[in-house]
Amino acid sequence: MAESGSSLELSSSLTSSTLPPPRTRIFKIIVIGDSGVGKTCLTYRFCAGKFPEKTEATIGVDFRERLVEIDGETIKIQLWDTAGQERFRKSMVQHYYRNVHAVVFVYDMTNAASFRSLPAWIEECKQHALGTEVPRILVGNKCDLQDSIQVGTDVAQQFADAHSMPLFETSAKNPNSQGDGNCRNSDHVEAIFMTVAHKLKSQKPLVLSQPPEGSGGTINLSRGRDDGGDGARSWSCSSC
Amino acid sequence: MKKLKRKKLNGGAVVNENGSATREPECGKKQKLAEIQQALIRDPVDIETLRRAAATKGGLLTDELRRKVWPKLLNINVYDLPHKPGRDVRENHKDYNQVVLDVRRSMKRFPKGMPATERAALQEQLIDMILEILKRNPQLHYYQGYHDVAVTLLLVVGERMAIAMLDKLSNYHLRDFMDPTMDSTKHILNYLMPILEQVDLELHDFMIRAEVGTIFALSWLITWYGHVLPEFKHTLRLYDFFLASHPLMPIYLAATIVLHREKKVKQTECDMAMVHHLLSQIPQDLPYELLIGQAQELFEQYPPSLLAKRAALQSCKSLSISTFQAFQRSTLHQRPDCVLQRLTKAQGSTTSSHAVQHTGLEAALPGERGQLWGKGNRMVKMAVWGLSATLGAAVLAVAQTAMEWGPEVLLQLF
Ligand SMILES: Nc1nc2c(ncn2[C@@H]2O[C@H](COP(=O)(O)OP(=O)(O)OP(=O)(O)O)[C@@H](O)[C@H]2O)c(=O)[nH]1
Ligand SMILES: [Mg+2]
Repeated sequence: MAESGSSLELSSSLTSSTLPPPRTRIFKIIVIGDSGVGKTCLTYRFCAGKFPEKTEATIGVDFRERLVEIDGETIKIQLWDTAGQERFRKSMVQHYYRNVHAVVFVYDMTNAASFRSLPAWIEECKQHALGTEVPRILVGNKCDLQDSIQVGTDVAQQFADAHSMPLFETSAKNPNSQGDGNCRNSDHVEAIFMTVAHKLKSQKPLVLSQPPEGSGGTINLSRGRDDGGDGARSWSCSSC
Repeated sequence: MKKLKRKKLNGGAVVNENGSATREPECGKKQKLAEIQQALIRDPVDIETLRRAAATKGGLLTDELRRKVWPKLLNINVYDLPHKPGRDVRENHKDYNQVVLDVRRSMKRFPKGMPATERAALQEQLIDMILEILKRNPQLHYYQGYHDVAVTLLLVVGERMAIAMLDKLSNYHLRDFMDPTMDSTKHILNYLMPILEQVDLELHDFMIRAEVGTIFALSWLITWYGHVLPEFKHTLRLYDFFLASHPLMPIYLAATIVLHREKKVKQTECDMAMVHHLLSQIPQDLPYELLIGQAQELFEQYPPSLLAKRAALQSCKSLSISTFQAFQRSTLHQRPDCVLQRLTKAQGSTTSSHAVQHTGLEAALPGERGQLWGKGNRMVKMAVWGLSATLGAAVLAVAQTAMEWGPEVLLQLF
């Protein structure tokens, strides 16, 4: 079967853990960004634990999920992997912005155009009434391609700060060796999504399948494990 | 409101409004083959029979027949095919990057055993082919998934005929998907729920409650299932069917697939994510012949005109639908290939198909011969002649596969 087919991932992730109790909380995370930045690879990496040998263009929306345990609670993380081509985002993907708990913006570090598109993606989110209380992170992907980096960390960090988002630079392909040459034994992509999950868990209690109510104040993420990468900054969620 | 009993679909033989499928006698493959051959040499070509053959059990049976019948279904003169795109086709096109990105990632669409170099050569052809159509038709806009249609055609009929076919399809059947926005595509998808509502109200209501939407069927529709079916032979079977049918037929098929999985759907948690996930995964073992029959049946019972009366479908215009009748009429007066060949030659067309005299080979190579011979590619011509004359059927079979894969492959063989 297809390497990037999501049925496999779903079943494997479900069988690898014990069945969830009936009221497992679900965190819905939408992953957006230009075509080719690696959204499918990143979500596949998180849900299936490896880089897909082959991906194909995502048409519409693909869905992947995984059960994780955070502080003793089993949580289902649902990732909505969206199509990058502009025509899809305008009229097709909109349906999937509803009830989303967090947003992951992805750009390709080796492709400046994908970085320049970010304001449009952020605007897109606003239009779908996703307020600032919905956690958002910025991910620069493909940091393994050291020789072709077009988007420097400084610029990206500035942008992330301006939009109150934490920045992560990573690679879906090779998430263990970071750009700075430090090898880590933990999977950086995993850490990124887990960070989002921690953040969501620390928010006001989420009702199943419902968007978080406006959570107030600044929240600092307490790192439950040593999984945060370099880019993981504290969440500076401007008071809403 | 009373619950409608689910109406039974038997998927049996039906009579189609445009006559594309009348009662099929229990005929074997051989008889069907003979019928197709007969229809092809009738003057004018018996397009009704060809349509029926494409839609009924087994479809067009072989790739060899597809190379002959597909162009007829689209009113294409195989002796007057467009030329290979030139180098400049890649120059400053706004969709160039997207096309390259999608085609390079489309490895799965090629036969498993195909050597990487051949696949790469075909991928380059695919890029050229898509850009050629887009350049010729500035009103058409590329969408991700268009490449899945293009590759299916390319693998069966070769580059030049694939360009001719893709051009036609893009201006008719796929036209709505190629607008600057996806609004028309959404409109077409909106036909799905009303069909379900007619057949299985309970299922319909369940899906409405789950707010699943119809995006799970988007890639089915705009790639004619080429993007989602693991087996190429099933994709081809569906292409036979769709090439012979109304542009909305892929939606009717989508309805039958959902209905086929009705029990599973109803057992799923009534939640958008779960239902979307279940439906977007096409099971490996779909009974395609049965579903095709059911789709035709649904089309008969609930034709687009009837569904369009529903409020949600009223406002929009679909170019694919509004041009379909004229398109079908245009296919009615085609001359058989032997006549076309003579006429086209007489008109002094650049395609010098006269070089093809070896009938066995002719059957094997219709997709590429214009290009190979027409352009005076002497090396290939000699090589294939030599092969067919001296080495017999086994080697010819190899050459035939190679030809299906494209001339680059063939060149490497020698
Ligand atoms: N070197 C490297 N290549 C990557 C990485 N992530 C993705 N790629 C490659 O980038 C290409 C695009 O990846 P996808 O995951 O399909 O991109 P996408 O964002 O899902 O694209 P769309 O579905 O078109 O929106 C593929 O050829 C991947 O192999 C990475 O971390 N490093
Ligand atoms: Mg993708």
